[in-house]
Amino acid sequence: MTPPPPADMREAAVELRGITKRFPGTLANDAVDLTVSRGEIHALMGENGAGKSTLMSVLYGMERPDAGTVHVDGREVTFSDPGDAMAAGLGMVHQSFKLFDSLTVAENVVYAAEPRRFGLVDRGAARRRVRELAEEHGLAVDPDALVGDLPVGLRQRVEILKLLHRGARTLILDEPTAVLTPAEADALFAVLKSLAAQGRTVILVTHKLREVLEGSDNVTVLRDGRVVARLVTAETSAADIAAAMTGRAVELDRVHASGTPGATVLDVTDLATDGVRGVQLAVRAGEIVGIAGVAGNGQSELVEALAGLRPVTAGRVALLGDDITHASATERRARGLAYVPEDRHAVGTAPAASVADNLAMGHHRTSLSSRGLLPPTAVRGHAQRLIERFGIKASSPEVPASSLSGGNLQKLLIGRELAHDAPLLLVEQPTRGVDIGAVQNIHDQLIAYRDAGHAVLLVSAELSEIRGLADRVLVMYEGRVTASYDKAEADERTLGLAMAGGPAPTEVRD
Amino acid sequence: MHRIKAVVASPVAFSVLAGVVIGALFLVGTGADPVAAYEAVITGSLGADGIGSTLTTLTSVLGLALALAVPLRAGLINLGGDGQLVLGGMAAAVTGLYSPLPAPLTVVLSLLAGMAAGAGYAALAAVCENRFGVPLLVSSLLLSYPAASFASYLARYPLKEPGSSLPQTRQLPDGVALATFGSSTVTVGLLLVVVAAAAYWFTDRRTAFGYEMRMTGLNARFSAYAGVERKGLTLRLMAVSGALAGLVGAIGVLSFPYRFLDGSLTASGYTWTGLTAALLAAASPVGTVLASFFFAVLQVGGLSMERTTEVPRELTQVLQAIVIVFLAARLRFPQWWFNRRKEAV
Ligand SMILES: Nc1ncnc2c1ncn2[C@@H]1O[C@H](COP(=O)(O)OP(=O)(O)OP(=O)(O)O)[C@@H](O)[C@H]1O
Ligand SMILES: [Mg+2]
Repeated sequence: MTPPPPADMREAAVELRGITKRFPGTLANDAVDLTVSRGEIHALMGENGAGKSTLMSVLYGMERPDAGTVHVDGREVTFSDPGDAMAAGLGMVHQSFKLFDSLTVAENVVYAAEPRRFGLVDRGAARRRVRELAEEHGLAVDPDALVGDLPVGLRQRVEILKLLHRGARTLILDEPTAVLTPAEADALFAVLKSLAAQGRTVILVTHKLREVLEGSDNVTVLRDGRVVARLVTAETSAADIAAAMTGRAVELDRVHASGTPGATVLDVTDLATDGVRGVQLAVRAGEIVGIAGVAGNGQSELVEALAGLRPVTAGRVALLGDDITHASATERRARGLAYVPEDRHAVGTAPAASVADNLAMGHHRTSLSSRGLLPPTAVRGHAQRLIERFGIKASSPEVPASSLSGGNLQKLLIGRELAHDAPLLLVEQPTRGVDIGAVQNIHDQLIAYRDAGHAVLLVSAELSEIRGLADRVLVMYEGRVTASYDKAEADERTLGLAMAGGPAPTEVRD
Repeated sequence: MHRIKAVVASPVAFSVLAGVVIGALFLVGTGADPVAAYEAVITGSLGADGIGSTLTTLTSVLGLALALAVPLRAGLINLGGDGQLVLGGMAAAVTGLYSPLPAPLTVVLSLLAGMAAGAGYAALAAVCENRFGVPLLVSSLLLSYPAASFASYLARYPLKEPGSSLPQTRQLPDGVALATFGSSTVTVGLLLVVVAAAAYWFTDRRTAFGYEMRMTGLNARFSAYAGVERKGLTLRLMAVSGALAGLVGAIGVLSFPYRFLDGSLTASGYTWTGLTAALLAAASPVGTVLASFFFAVLQVGGLSMERTTEVPRELTQVLQAIVIVFLAARLRFPQWWFNRRKEAV
């Protein structure tokens, strides 16, 4: 990659000066300056809760800064809502997409800015418009497909098309690759680079160092709401960025030593459920079994069936020797199962409830209550202990969980489930959206949990995570376990091939 | 500063305030004096002449508001309050008429019978959802009609007071009545309802069951994931809800005119007022009490305003309606707020 010209040579597309944003108990942004030149891909990095999303919300008119100014194309602007920001040529892709599942791609793209004919929406024109845009930017997608039927990678394209349709010249993407497969992420970066080459500007919030190094021109690092480093990507390294983020040296992609497996804890024979057939697997005490696979090959369904949230249609599941094939979620938990689900907003937490209430779930009938009473002091004390132990950044246990940053919400979930001390832990995507320092912390916690003699079944889309943690790796493909490897055999290439199901990859590619 | 902002931003305060302001504009528009009208509402409901009537109304409104708030806290809506109320009243009347026990014990037994009838009937709606998959909203509402008809049949035929032209039972025996405060119409029923409100607060805040109820209301998938048994929860909450509605019915029968008169329990539409109060408060215990009080004041004050000023009492209904409209707009508020945070993560 050629190094970009110095910032002062190019016109600034977006400039934030001295942005300060305070929430009750938290200084989320502290006099932040950020300048992004036209045609640049600018990465914004920082630990969970560093203030990245807040800064982007200020830029996009969703939050008002307590101090500081926003300049777009050299003019000072004041946005009172995202509509103003859009009118000024900004566009944001949120982490949870805002699309209508039951409408087509074309309808979603033109929504709220429809081409009209005789006062009615001109569907033909909408379709043509989507085709043109898609062709121009290499964002191939069928305008007539229902958005609900599309995989995540394509939905994201629809989001980007929507912004381009409205003429966005600066695109803000908040953790766009957290939910993408590696191939989808590569495709996204190809698109972003071509947009930048046309003179559009991209601001990217992400935790993934590889993407930043390969895809960005400059990096700004936030820590505790303040800018701690401005780096030119071509002149920096993963270690430098990680050190700037955390303020200490971080060992990346560590491979942990194997555990010493004991008796079988989870024993699954010939299990079938929606989209899953003939699954055979066992997890022993003191062992982490990893399930690798491209998203959508039955991993989530398998875990839900094991957790008791999806009926088992055939086969047998035994926990500590007892048959739990048809046991309810409640019984399974009582017998010693804890579970960190993939979707932390819809399943893993009640975002509107307080942090303390969220941390109490599942403990509220056991350690925290006596004779049906649940004293608020017990709930609060429990919350404070877990906040401390897992380094959750929350201004108080009473704030709603929705006010936590993405990574901190994940820590809350993992902390709560580990605290059950259950013989079996099911965990899906434990470090999605979590910063590198916290990834290390969560990995250490999982290893310590294993070494304390618990069994862990880990599902992750991150191969490096599976390879670093798992003592054995299973690969799922089209609803079946198609391969099994010991830690030593499970190198990236072998797993990659098995995940693709052998001959032809089934990825969505251009 | 923050406190003040929070209160003003609180959607409940906002809805009520908006209702009052828009109501005032209405009054000005029709040439009436808003200050005098509102003064009449306040003095009429809280002054020496009105307070008794307000507290009597409060007994019913609060009891039914609690009945609806309890399931609502877990995101369940019981639309069968009328049926449970009427069955509770009828059970209390039958017990009061035929119990061989001494009067004070009969009163207690009547109250319990009313609660049991309401609870059992509401539980039936829960069973319809749990076992047969009929949505609670539908099963509770549909079950309400036969209950009312059944009670009406009893009051018109087998239990009808001989010689009376009204569809009513005989009067309860002497002494089978709730004690009143002094010479007012306010009965110890008010105390029972207030105790129920306190119990609701305690359960909500201090018990594991209340915790499960709240979490289910905030995110049902979350509580299911963590192993809260939804069916059991539905059944228990509905039973409590029906018991409270039945209690209100029993209190009604054990107060003046000390009998079951067909249609009298449901005529004032307190079930709907109660539902509105519970919704307005998002089923929070303290909020439900405050909202019920607010509505009781409006109902009683409206009547007296009509008497002392030119303003028809429909104004208070307009006020209520405006509050409800704002409230309906607000129901989307937490969702919207939550989405915004989620995006920002
Ligand atoms: N609405 C809010 N109310 C209270 N605190 C908030 C609110 N929004 C953000 N915060 C706090 O501000 C800080 C910065 O949050 P922000 O979401 O910007 O972090 P982030 O850098 O995006 O983190 P992540 O990588 O985990 O997404 C956090 O401590 C968070 O708890
Ligand atoms: Mg964020």
